[in-house]
Amino acid sequence: MNTRRTTTPKSVQASRLNRRDFLIRGGLMGAGALSLPALLAACGSDSGSTADTVGGGGDSSLFFENWPGYMDEETIGLFQAASGVSLKYTEAFNDNNEYFAKIQPEMSKGKTIAPDILAPTFWMAARLVQLGWVQKLPKADIPNFVNLRDDLSGQSWDKNDEYHLPYQSGIAGIAYNSKITGRELKSVADLFDPAFKGKIGMLTEMRDTIGLILMGEGKKISDITTFDAASAGFDKLEKAKSEGQIRSFTGNDYVDDLSAGNFAACVAWSGDVLQLTKDNPDVKFIIPEEGGTSWYDTMVWMKGSQNGDAVAKWMNFLYDPVNAARLTSFVQYLSPVKGVQEELVKMGGDNAKLAEDPLLFPDAATFARLQSWGALAEEEEAKFDEAFASITGA
Amino acid sequence: MSTAFSKRQKAGQRLVNVAAGAALLYIFIPIFVIVLFSFNEPKGKYNIKWQNFTLDNWANPFIEKELTSALWVSLRIALIATIVSTILGTLIAMSLSRYKFKASGAVNLFLVLPLTAPEIVLGSSLATLFLNRSVGFGYVTIIIAHVMFQISFVAVTVRARIRGFDWTLEQAAQDLGATPSRAFWKVTFPLILPGIMAAALLSFALSVDDFIITFFNAGSLVTFPLQIFGASRVKISPQINVLASMLLFASVALMAGAMILGRRRERRHSGTLSK
Amino acid sequence: MTSVVSAGKKWGATLSSRPENVGLGVMLGLGLGAVALAAQWVKGPSSLLVAIAMLTMVVGLIYTAFAGGLEARKSLAPYGLLKPGMIWLCLFFLAPLWSMVVMSLSSKAGRFDFFPDFTWNFENYRIALTKFRPQFIRSFSYAGIATILTVVIGYPLAYFIAFRGGKYRNVLLGLVVVPFFTSYLIRTLAWNNILADEGPVVSLINTLHLTGVFETLDIMQNGKLMNTPAAVIGGLTYNFLPFMVLPIYVSLEKIDVRLVDAAMDLYSSASQAFRKVVLPLSLPGLFAGSLLVFIPAAGDFVNAQFLGNPQTTMIGNSIQDQFLRQLNYPVASAMSFVLMIIITIIVLIYTKFMGTEDLA
Repeated sequence: MNTRRTTTPKSVQASRLNRRDFLIRGGLMGAGALSLPALLAACGSDSGSTADTVGGGGDSSLFFENWPGYMDEETIGLFQAASGVSLKYTEAFNDNNEYFAKIQPEMSKGKTIAPDILAPTFWMAARLVQLGWVQKLPKADIPNFVNLRDDLSGQSWDKNDEYHLPYQSGIAGIAYNSKITGRELKSVADLFDPAFKGKIGMLTEMRDTIGLILMGEGKKISDITTFDAASAGFDKLEKAKSEGQIRSFTGNDYVDDLSAGNFAACVAWSGDVLQLTKDNPDVKFIIPEEGGTSWYDTMVWMKGSQNGDAVAKWMNFLYDPVNAARLTSFVQYLSPVKGVQEELVKMGGDNAKLAEDPLLFPDAATFARLQSWGALAEEEEAKFDEAFASITGA
Repeated sequence: MSTAFSKRQKAGQRLVNVAAGAALLYIFIPIFVIVLFSFNEPKGKYNIKWQNFTLDNWANPFIEKELTSALWVSLRIALIATIVSTILGTLIAMSLSRYKFKASGAVNLFLVLPLTAPEIVLGSSLATLFLNRSVGFGYVTIIIAHVMFQISFVAVTVRARIRGFDWTLEQAAQDLGATPSRAFWKVTFPLILPGIMAAALLSFALSVDDFIITFFNAGSLVTFPLQIFGASRVKISPQINVLASMLLFASVALMAGAMILGRRRERRHSGTLSK
Repeated sequence: MTSVVSAGKKWGATLSSRPENVGLGVMLGLGLGAVALAAQWVKGPSSLLVAIAMLTMVVGLIYTAFAGGLEARKSLAPYGLLKPGMIWLCLFFLAPLWSMVVMSLSSKAGRFDFFPDFTWNFENYRIALTKFRPQFIRSFSYAGIATILTVVIGYPLAYFIAFRGGKYRNVLLGLVVVPFFTSYLIRTLAWNNILADEGPVVSLINTLHLTGVFETLDIMQNGKLMNTPAAVIGGLTYNFLPFMVLPIYVSLEKIDVRLVDAAMDLYSSASQAFRKVVLPLSLPGLFAGSLLVFIPAAGDFVNAQFLGNPQTTMIGNSIQDQFLRQLNYPVASAMSFVLMIIITIIVLIYTKFMGTEDLA
């Protein structure tokens, strides 16, 4: 800090700027200033951002952008060793909508993004296919495609399974901390019990939250195609929120809140809670008596990517029951691959116990209680999203 | 100077001291918590409840690849942005404080505008511009965005620092035979350098820490704050606290070093001048 | 031919006789040109014309510098120094604002139409003002309360550093600024640890049986401190406290200590001396500080996201949602513009109220 108190001459002083200096200074600055638009224009023709190479190096490299905590290191290493493909694996896919907003500027202009494979949730995958941003999978090179679980095949938005291959599937139900609730919970209605005011959590995943609520009202969500058919669910949620029933809307972060007792109960995903129920016996997960929602994240091959061979090798690798079993033992969600249960038993130890877990391998009766959403038209989906956003307060 | 303070005055003084102390404590409690929880061994995915003391996190600070690479991205961006904005901002500051010209009032006002606009407006409007002009989001857009708000900051800060500066020193140097550029570089520049460095350091910190403007203009590139935000949906690992503590200690050390150097230089200068 | 040359010479003479006007004119011209190019006021071949015009201006400037002699260069120098920074700001501050205004009056053909057409669509503003009115009101009240709190907490601290700091002033100021060097997000998340349901603060309140008091004051809700408006306001206060302390300190430091002593002699009590002398002299700092706290706080969304609940969302959260989730750029831009206008109005009223102060 300048503490010297010197007088400042008010008048401009006669600085003997000589011609050379002024020229240099002025010229440099002028040139610099004018070249900036040119720089900008040059940037405009760039296809993207990072130093990452766009998929275009033949079959020797692959870029898979996935959700966090959704893959174990071992599988990555084994794949690279077995196939000779160098796999770049990142976990920057945190949220379907946010990632969509990130890739939209490039994809909508017909350019391409760096990752070859993404694993969006099914409804986002449907949107990507509808927008034409996804390529048909090289199924001829993926013989293990036949291992796809029957119930996941033939979706309404991709009847011939040409554009996607499921990565993991799961169930949304209710998880609760029995120490806080003081009783067992059985149905969706328990989430609206005034005794738990301010201690209920809901998911930011609109389809799981609204789906459960609608099923609690006795509706069949697979039949819903318009916003009006679902508005009862939104109204109920809005009422609960304004009465202070709901503490917050969360992503995967409900896990610690539940364990700590900040939530008495919350809408939860089966895979998150599996480990939690083992660590903390107070925490339980149920599929409500009205039913639970079934969802899946699925792999898509982005348009513009040239690495078809590597993509085929990777998908084929994942659909080998041995690899699928290893992945399941790590993420503990429902595998989309047939034959995983037997492989887990073969692995022995804790993994064999996983094979018996009804949450990982539900029986037919449980499966019958699960419902999943159909595809929503663009305008209807917009209404759903807007209504949900105004409830979550955004 | 009156030395006899009434009891009430003394009580009033003590109240101010206590209030000031409480304010400092308030400022530092979260910092303690951040450093403390870097030694925590969280049971779940979130580092909220204190479990056990462990040195593991500090032993493996860079174990979270995504976090570490995001930190590198932030540091790289901050370096380039700070250099560009310091040059541009200092030029503006010099022109405002050294010369008197017609538009100086308007320029003053114009400079302050980016500082007073909410970050969300700056960020979203810049993103709209880039979207309209089909500019790909990434390093360049983030750097452009950071330089934009740093320029005003540097200009205002440097101008405040060099406000009392005696420009006749340059004149004196020229009278003694130096060319204008030599006079500038040998006389003026070293004297205003501390102000410039202070502004540069603070704007570097602003750039590393910037979240809202970067959020809108990063595209798929992940900076340190963006990584924390994104990953916070799923987990908050103690490595975040470790890296943050490292940044903190590094900047404290830098600041302390700058202060000590400054004091030493002052002592040296005041010593020769007083002779 | 000669008439052209002589006209050119006359023009050149006019230029070099009033170099400062040339400098000002060129700066304005280049700035406008930059905005025009960036914001696409002109498209295609017209933009080439604009670029040529800008180039001509620069040439004219350099010519004036040469021909005008020393005096010309003297008065042109500041403009020369200013130009790069100004052009950057024009390109990346003014032009984006223009783009935002254009976008706010556009309409989308469908949900995934990412290139809306400009249609003078004021519907976006109607939506912004009606649908999001609660968020607007909430943001300004949270920001206002946070500003007042930063004054209450920060003024004594600034006073202490300015008048009692002595040789430790710089150290103390450093201490105030040091938390800046941790990430904004991590600082906010740390409050999660402190205010957690089973954390130290809530436990203390429960042990002291003050829960009821806090609940009536609406600081706690249902026995929790996290996910409450108080937590959000607390986060805003904490994060923007240095922005209040530093300006107040700067204006307090300028006060001559002898003035304070004289006041103490004149008035019967220290508090009177404070009110009559110190407080008015520190008003510039208070003014600057309140602006530096209120404005960013009003547009913030991080604190509400991490520390709040669905009923404490601020306009920043809504703008972010509209922009990045609903992909409704027109409405998001309208909301941003309304936010800026309201803030500008508040600042103007505040300025009139406090008298004109300069922000330095």
